[in-house]
Amino acid sequence: MTDDTLDVSIIGLPGSGKTTLLAAIWHSIQEPEADTDLKLHKLSNGNYEHLNALAKRWRAGEIQQRTQLSGMKSIEMRLINEKSMTLDITFPDVPGEEFSRMWELRELDKSIEQTMAASSIVLVINGDTIQFPTWVADFTAITTATGLNDESEDLRDWSADLAPTQVKIVDLLQLLMSDQLHVGKRRLSILVSAWDKVEDEGLTPAQLLKAKLPLLYQYLKSNRDPWTWKVWGLSAQGGVYEDPEKNQEYPETAALLDLDKPSDRIKVVDEKDVTTDITKPLVWLMS
Amino acid sequence: MVNEVQTCANADCNFAVDGKCVEGLPLQDCPHLGALSEGKIENIESAADISEDVKPLIGLPVGDVLNRAAASTLLRRYASRVVGIIGPNDSGKTSLIASVYELLQVGPIADIDFAGSSTLIGFERVCHDARAASRRTAPYTERTSRGVDATFFHLDLNHSDYGLVSLMLGDRSGEDYLMATDEIIRADEYFELKRADCVVVLVNGDQLSNVRRRHETIAKSSQIIEALIESNTLRIGCNLACVLSKKDMVLASPKTERIRQDFGNIVSTISDKHSQHLGQIRSFEISASPRSLESVSRGEGVEDLLKFWIETPPKVYSCNVPRTVQKTRMIDLLTSEGESCL
Repeated sequence: MTDDTLDVSIIGLPGSGKTTLLAAIWHSIQEPEADTDLKLHKLSNGNYEHLNALAKRWRAGEIQQRTQLSGMKSIEMRLINEKSMTLDITFPDVPGEEFSRMWELRELDKSIEQTMAASSIVLVINGDTIQFPTWVADFTAITTATGLNDESEDLRDWSADLAPTQVKIVDLLQLLMSDQLHVGKRRLSILVSAWDKVEDEGLTPAQLLKAKLPLLYQYLKSNRDPWTWKVWGLSAQGGVYEDPEKNQEYPETAALLDLDKPSDRIKVVDEKDVTTDITKPLVWLMS
Repeated sequence: MVNEVQTCANADCNFAVDGKCVEGLPLQDCPHLGALSEGKIENIESAADISEDVKPLIGLPVGDVLNRAAASTLLRRYASRVVGIIGPNDSGKTSLIASVYELLQVGPIADIDFAGSSTLIGFERVCHDARAASRRTAPYTERTSRGVDATFFHLDLNHSDYGLVSLMLGDRSGEDYLMATDEIIRADEYFELKRADCVVVLVNGDQLSNVRRRHETIAKSSQIIEALIESNTLRIGCNLACVLSKKDMVLASPKTERIRQDFGNIVSTISDKHSQHLGQIRSFEISASPRSLESVSRGEGVEDLLKFWIETPPKVYSCNVPRTVQKTRMIDLLTSEGESCL
């Protein structure tokens, strides 16, 4: 039996689905009903209140609350694979605003410096909210062709938050390779979340990356920075979840809750396979 | 003795919280930062109270355009191309720079992939007014400030044959460049052109169609090259791209053929006179940021220009530099030490 340690950081812009991913992982590695390569070895003396709360909401089909800006939760778990190898994984639950801040304010909270130095990175990108640049000339051509009114609005000054999703992500990955945070070669699992909302387009995850985030795709493909990377499609909740504070109730959520095994809501897609095993991207990080 | 607490007069600055100048200036250079004695502070949290809330922060690379020293440092990493872009105001210098970046937003340009950039913030800033997010009804590009040293936009590109290449695009006010035609010694300041592997001279197609501006545009285009060569600013072997900009306006003009003829004459004049000094001289037509897509596509012609920059290294380096200086690495020509050699 070999013990090993893997520091994994989950990164992503606000609303990318990082917390939902954590919730689904915590449920899957604990519950026998979930067929996963990695399982929880044993509970340690740590505090699991936060993770349990996330998993509870996930099982109930409730949306996750926005990760609080203060008091970042660092989560440690010891996992075991089928060969009885144990693996300590640290997942800091960092709010997406911290990553926006890196892009917009060009600074990093020192308390997450160690987190950013992890050798393995899970990058979550919400496939349904990718902001692609659009240009005045193209926009004008559309409004002219369709005869739509091009009603003038107040001009909007530049601000960094208006940047396309792919630019923010490229910058984030470049910063992780910059002198301040450079730790050498790293492995990168890219999870395109909300896969259930984009899978009808008939693209594989890598094809989607190339089509919808071409700048990011080129950056990774060019290999200027030493990333070893793979992309998955991920539906961590299977469909729409409800916000209990707004008394939302959806038939689609009810159908998901009606499944015998909660882990059947999960879909992890790579170029060849479709599985409900949400630990696959972690197993790849270990390889 | 009165303890003094420094405060900033700029309302947008969080100096009191994070100890940083919002304009990114060294504290001693910030004109808004002043000292206020504690006795004068009313209703302000004590410094001790504030410091308890302050999170230690790590400054990250700012991502904006590069000064000369920063550009020099980056040029040491891979093969490189430095491109100087000259032309009068409104000839489309910044639009050209932005259009290379914007084309990469939608995919590789020919066989050239985006591999990274240290100036993403700078690119985003200059691209904004041509994007729908600005809510403009016609693309607009902010004019580069006059009297300011050249800055550089940076792209690392991966070419299928040449591998990784760092591309530095120099940006300086068009008015500043034109001053070299009045006072040739001014050209000595143009360090970005001294190091350039390729210089782009932009000829504004819209101005060639304007009867009141046509002849001045023709005259200035060759005069600026004349001044830069006469002053030894352009190295022997430096490539030259003559670019007719605003192709959409050219095609929309009733004088399209005459504009193209004028442009051809400009290129011939330069070529006849300076082909011994310059490397390859090529002409291009581009529409970097067209107002309308009826007759052109966005960024049309920029692909050929980019390929020229990357695929045509200058043949001869610095033949006009004294022998003792020729050992100087090309990257050093962007540093003040290198400049003093020219």
